[in-house]
Amino acid sequence: MGIEDKIDIDIFKLVTRAISESNNIVIMANHLTQLLVGTLGIKGCAIFILNPELKELEALASFGLSIDYMTKGPVLSDKSVGSALGKEPVIIRDVINDDRLQYPEDAKKEGIGAIASIPIMLYGKPVGALRLYHHETWDISGRDLDSLLLLSEIIGLAMVYTRNLNVLQSIKGAIDDVHPIWLKDR
Amino acid sequence: MSSQKILAPYNFTAYDQKALDFIIRTFAHLEDVEITLFNTYTPVPEIDVRATPMMEKLKSNISFLSQKIKEQEEGLKTAKQKLLQNGFSASRVHYIFQPRKKDVAAEVIALAKNQNFNLIVLNSKPGKLSHFFTGNLFSKVINALKDTTVCVVS
Repeated sequence: MGIEDKIDIDIFKLVTRAISESNNIVIMANHLTQLLVGTLGIKGCAIFILNPELKELEALASFGLSIDYMTKGPVLSDKSVGSALGKEPVIIRDVINDDRLQYPEDAKKEGIGAIASIPIMLYGKPVGALRLYHHETWDISGRDLDSLLLLSEIIGLAMVYTRNLNVLQSIKGAIDDVHPIWLKDR
Repeated sequence: MSSQKILAPYNFTAYDQKALDFIIRTFAHLEDVEITLFNTYTPVPEIDVRATPMMEKLKSNISFLSQKIKEQEEGLKTAKQKLLQNGFSASRVHYIFQPRKKDVAAEVIALAKNQNFNLIVLNSKPGKLSHFFTGNLFSKVINALKDTTVCVVS
């Protein structure tokens, strides 16, 4: 028997709408994690931004995971979830029998059975990761994996959009600060 | 009424702990100081719940989502408890846990203005990259407020 698909078009519509309706990246990311947890019935979800200088994954949003788990220590990009810095998703279908975790004991204590780490790409380079955490072992269907990859691409685009919006707001702030006296004809 | 009202945005990170330790070291012995811890949560988005199996599933999971938000509030209460255990009296420590409607900087600025806080304790992790996408909290706060002291614990 094949693996059941969990993500259908309704879920996809719901989460992409949450992305398109927000111009604040943190609220958008939080809504996305809430909706993925609520619709897929999984334990938790988190969105990380990759810091290439510190080689750490910085949490942008998370849902369903305890404060202790999210603050367990730095998430190192070259050690966490089988070095999930590549362009390919990493699926840990059984946390107990897998040695690719940076904090295996914390994952077990948190009640995590499986982790799917999907890279967020921008211009062909990884800039972050979308991670889904399940209570039990998890076999993700090829179709669900495709959906999650597509979703992570949309998150990457939303990140660029909000970054550009921040830049525009900074420029507007700088222009607003220009005193009219400086613009008088000489 | 206390002469010094301190607002401390708190988000459970190691740097928030450092900021809390700074508050304890610096203000616990002063009687005339009030501390308010501040944290926001993102409310579950409003959803058009039509009768599809997926929407039904989401609806049944809403209580789980709400439970997780309550756990976040418990974390804030734990931080408050830490202040109480380290010399602050109960009447001097408060917390605000409210839904987030805008970015955190805007929430902090609005609260500081509305409730007349005269000191804000922020924290900043050096080299953090997510500011690139989210904007920098302390530069927004410093630029928006006047007659307010802003401490940054790094």
